[in-house]
Amino acid sequence: MRRIRVLIATLGLDQHELGAMAVSRMLRDAGMEVIYGGRFNLPPMLLRMAEEEDVDVIGLSCHSWEYIHYVPELCDLLRENGLDIPVVIGGSVITAADAEMLKEKGVAAVFGPSARGEEIVEAVKTLGSRAHG
Amino acid sequence: MSGDRTQSGIPLQRFYGPREVQDLHYERDLNEPGSFPFTRGRSGGDRGGGTWIQRELSGEGDPVRSNEQLKYLISKGQSGIDVIGDSPTMACLDPDHPLCAKAVGTQGVSLCCKEDYLRLFQGIDLGSVTVSGSLPSAFGIAGFYLAARHQGCDPSRLRGSMVQAPFYCEECGYAMHMPFDLRLRLTCDSIEFCTQEMPRFHAFLEDTYYISEAGLDSVEEMALGLVEIRHVVRELLRKGVDIDSFAPRIAILLNCRMDFFEEIAKIRATRRLFARMMRDEFGARDPRSQAVVITCHTSGLSLTAQQPVNNIVRGAIEALALVLAGVQAIEISAFDEAYRTPSPESHLVALRTQQVIHLESNAGKVMDPLGGSYYVESLTNDLERRVRKMIERIEAMGDPALLSDKGWFRSVFENAMERYARQIREKELLKVGVNIHEIPDEEDTLLKDVAERKIPPCLDRIERIRKMKGRRDRARIEDALRAVLETGRARQENLMRPVIDAFEAGATMGEIAGVLRMAYDFPYDPLGLMEPPV
Repeated sequence: MRRIRVLIATLGLDQHELGAMAVSRMLRDAGMEVIYGGRFNLPPMLLRMAEEEDVDVIGLSCHSWEYIHYVPELCDLLRENGLDIPVVIGGSVITAADAEMLKEKGVAAVFGPSARGEEIVEAVKTLGSRAHG
Repeated sequence: MSGDRTQSGIPLQRFYGPREVQDLHYERDLNEPGSFPFTRGRSGGDRGGGTWIQRELSGEGDPVRSNEQLKYLISKGQSGIDVIGDSPTMACLDPDHPLCAKAVGTQGVSLCCKEDYLRLFQGIDLGSVTVSGSLPSAFGIAGFYLAARHQGCDPSRLRGSMVQAPFYCEECGYAMHMPFDLRLRLTCDSIEFCTQEMPRFHAFLEDTYYISEAGLDSVEEMALGLVEIRHVVRELLRKGVDIDSFAPRIAILLNCRMDFFEEIAKIRATRRLFARMMRDEFGARDPRSQAVVITCHTSGLSLTAQQPVNNIVRGAIEALALVLAGVQAIEISAFDEAYRTPSPESHLVALRTQQVIHLESNAGKVMDPLGGSYYVESLTNDLERRVRKMIERIEAMGDPALLSDKGWFRSVFENAMERYARQIREKELLKVGVNIHEIPDEEDTLLKDVAERKIPPCLDRIERIRKMKGRRDRARIEDALRAVLETGRARQENLMRPVIDAFEAGATMGEIAGVLRMAYDFPYDPLGLMEPPV
């Protein structure tokens, strides 16, 4: 069985990468393959990368408010293109109200500041195995 | 903190005594404040000791809104201005660039043309207040210069500083999508320009704050910072700029974390390292060239989104360390920075914290109050040695331009980010509310409400900039941009005049930066989404 492939990236001009780096390391340590998409991504670019890299999960890290706009846009794009790839997002700027909004828009899991590493790894693993069955 | 080590890994003893500092020689290693090697302070305090510039990093929305914010902070007793650009501005992209739409004005002020700078400082006397900028340096200096002239203030009277971040900006936080040589040139040209036109302005503010927020420790922070300073100094000397014409205006913007004594010792060690380096290696004769100005931000990374009220305590502890170390300016990262661009409430608390320390504690009345402490002197020596060793190691690796291109610096930051995350995960670094003394989310409500009040992107500004661009005198803009392109290609000429002229002609930072990228055979637009105007 191939390893779960996860695309990790930040959005727009958000250049805070500490969270993305930390999560990438944890996922790799848990046996998953991380495609690090880095900074300066817009939803169409993420869609293309997710397709080309054939990933099972898209993981976004945020420390600016750009996610409020881009994440729902990405979910719509994935749907329009018939791609059933779960999107998860984490970041300390995400408030409880935002988390609700994101889940309504189709985000599979939202991790706020108090999320534990194991929790994130577990969720990505579950979503990833489901995705590539 | 990791048991018996400082945050940067220096082993700690139970206590310190004369044995640990037996090689310390008072005149040689410490001396009085204001005397070489300036370990105990930059000046002798003859200009009224016991105080420092108190300011908060600010800027939000468009220049009109930021202008109100600056006036608000001044009205509350802020004694200097510290502005940061929003993320498009920091990336040298105009608000109408497709990558910027959702970020205009949300994490700083949006500044892209001459009018923006004039508006930002409207009603603020640039001849009397110091203005520090975290902006793409050459453009920020051009903007300050034009704003001063517009006010009828001779730019030679301008005081303040501008961060210079040529080495590491692409790798950690301030990417401008420019090649190393161009970044270095913009730094050197703007510093050289200021020796003539803005001689009181600290045009060379080395910024080690933002790089250390990637999780660097104190030794790495200072070593990387000094490597950058040394390279820029050598480059300026190579261009024939006299050391004593620019060195008195070198300042360092440091980070202050929670390891109280290590941060104090770091600042003392930095002053000594800098003094010895400037005198002995670069031949600076003017004492002001040997005595570095130090300004600090308390660490945003040390703050937590959990139980944010504790961040007020963290800011106070860090700021007290800075007062005891004797720095020239302080900014306390606001308590809500872990989860939003600072609110007016958190800005005010941060400012009040400084005022309480300043006016009530007496902590800053005596210079270098910890001088002579066995522990602090031992730590200062240790840090100086470790930083010096790391500088030697990095410089032995060869040309920093190549190191940058090969991604070596990037790997330093990536390793630091991973290490920091591991330290938190494995509780090597304890953070109250994060990996110890946690409380459930539903109980964690105090001061959380400010997080739901967000700053929306300035969509109307995007429209205004688009319209403004359409209204301009095309021919004049094209001429000005062509001049920038030509000077850019002629590697030896100073870029500041053509950049200022282009601003005057109505060109924007995005256009000027794009044309400069072209002069260095880089794409005009890093994302290939905008057409070059020339």
